Amino acid sequence: MKPLSLHIRLVLAASLILTAFLGLTGWALDKAYSESAENAMQKQLQGQIYALLAAADEDEQGRMRLPLTLPDPRFSNPDSGLYAQVEGEAGGYQWQSASLVGQSLNIIHSPPPGKWHYQKPTNAIKLYTVNFSITWEDKNNTEHIYTLAVGGDITPLLSQIKSFRVTLWTWLGGLALLLLLAQGAVLRWGLKPLRTVAQELRLIETGKAEKLSGGYPSELQRLTGNINSLIHHSQASQERYRNSLGDLAHSLKTPLAVLQGAAETHDKMQLQAAVEEQIPRMNEIVQHQLQRATAAGKITLAKAIPIAPIIPKIVRSLDKIYQNKNITHTIAIEEQAHFFGTEGDLMEVLGNLLDNAYKYGNTQINISAAQTTEKLIIQIEDDGPGIPADQINTLLKRGQRADEQQPGQGIGLSAAHEIIHLHQGTLEISKSKLGGAKITLTF
Amino acid sequence: MRLLVVEDEPTLRQQLKEQLVAKGYSVDVAEDGEAGLFHGLEYPLDLAIIDLGLPKLSGIDLIRRLRAADKRFPILILTARGNWQDKVEGLEAGADDYLVKPFHQEELLARLNALLRRAAGWTSPVIQCAPISLDTRTQAVQNNGTSIELTSYEYRVLEYLMLHTGKVVSKTELTEHIYDQDFDRDSNVLEVFVGRLRRKLDPEGALKPIETLRGRGYRFTLKQTQASE
Repeated sequence: MKPLSLHIRLVLAASLILTAFLGLTGWALDKAYSESAENAMQKQLQGQIYALLAAADEDEQGRMRLPLTLPDPRFSNPDSGLYAQVEGEAGGYQWQSASLVGQSLNIIHSPPPGKWHYQKPTNAIKLYTVNFSITWEDKNNTEHIYTLAVGGDITPLLSQIKSFRVTLWTWLGGLALLLLLAQGAVLRWGLKPLRTVAQELRLIETGKAEKLSGGYPSELQRLTGNINSLIHHSQASQERYRNSLGDLAHSLKTPLAVLQGAAETHDKMQLQAAVEEQIPRMNEIVQHQLQRATAAGKITLAKAIPIAPIIPKIVRSLDKIYQNKNITHTIAIEEQAHFFGTEGDLMEVLGNLLDNAYKYGNTQINISAAQTTEKLIIQIEDDGPGIPADQINTLLKRGQRADEQQPGQGIGLSAAHEIIHLHQGTLEISKSKLGGAKITLTF
Repeated sequence: MRLLVVEDEPTLRQQLKEQLVAKGYSVDVAEDGEAGLFHGLEYPLDLAIIDLGLPKLSGIDLIRRLRAADKRFPILILTARGNWQDKVEGLEAGADDYLVKPFHQEELLARLNALLRRAAGWTSPVIQCAPISLDTRTQAVQNNGTSIELTSYEYRVLEYLMLHTGKVVSKTELTEHIYDQDFDRDSNVLEVFVGRLRRKLDPEGALKPIETLRGRGYRFTLKQTQASE
């Protein structure tokens, strides 16, 4: 499955988090409000019980009796929403507020004396009720138990909670919408550089642009920088291929012309001489151009290739080839010495240079590689005749134009030099303390 | 000296075979890696010439399999790829030398000669066992400085015996290394060659360079005197 786009991922995640957060907040606020409203109602009804007790009177026998009218006018108006009921003396005394007249409601629950009883509204009785029982001693020292009950209509409370909810969710919804809009804007702004990169890459693909413009945020700069280097590298190697192909074609034309001329003379001896002369020349040309075209050169994002395992491989191979020469070698390679490029390029450089050292050296070859923070330095020394200073330039330049090149020694040196040049490295030739040539490579 | 040529290009294979046979080698040919492996494992070879780009089994894998099977004969790589990475890979796989195509016949013969001598423990191309000397490059044999004319098969027998101076070489070993697989193997022929060699090298019968060990084979008795270029 195709992975979701960054934009969709961020929008989805942020929206889910926002919904969960605002939903939980709303639910918690709603619950807290309802509970505190119920508590307030309970407190209020308790207050009415105390008011009933305060209004209670005694009859001649000292028993509790409630007056006909109570201070709170709501007890007197029928269906006012506030009701009171008193029962006592084991059912011998019954009293109810005028507001209860005409309703067959019983809200008495008779808790033990001194205890409160709270009752939430039920389907039958849509009232919130509070009961309180007391013990009352009359003049004959007889104890009577009375239960006082007060009921409050729940409807105003419910409508109060309802209107709170409407306000709450309206505000939260508005807030969510605002946050989503803000988030969308932030995402658009934050992801804009990525969209720009994509667009610029499309332009490059269609050939309308050559490289990515600068000015990207620091997180993207490495990426865009590397893309630019890759583009540059592929353009450069394309150009090198084109040049090599052109050079190859042109430089093969001369030997071909010689062969054609020889063929047209109808002289077998002359033709054979021409073939024998031109074939090695054509072979050199092909070799040289092939090598030029396949050398990878400096690559971006190249893996660092450790030098330490490569040199012994080449030396083992050369020991085999030059078994009869009995060459002794000392190898000193720092463990951290690394080459940034392809293994093929490194082997081509070292193979050519070490082959020369084995070829021209007498008994001793020294190889060393050292790594500093910026540079890799490789040195190859032999005890052969060395390279005269006045020949160095000709040797290095040899083979730059394949059709001017003469076969012979030193081809390896110029091949190595060319690859080193592609890696923006340098090759220096000097006199070794062993007596022969000392080649110093710096990358 | 028995050689194996593993090369998939028919023209080059045929050319190589003809050139090598003309130089007195007995030559087996194989056109792909698997056939090469079969020959290498089944026949007593003195050297194999292996092209790297082979069908069925690559040249590198062929070399690895031969070395893994403890075949120690020298291997010369023929390759169109002249870059060092390929050279080193081939030599690390177990080859002893490489030759990049196109090559001169003389170059090929010089490398073969050097590898064969090296494998037999000789460093010089001229084998000196006084008073007889044998130049492996020119296939010239001299006794006390006088040239001795040998036929191709006589030379092959003498070269093999001299390369293994002091060692007993059985008739079977000698037959296998001087003839290719199609040759009619009649040990009487070998005895005839040895008899002719004895007459040509030692007409007076004083030197006795080739000893017959009944039931075991032949031995070249003269000691190596000096190796010179």
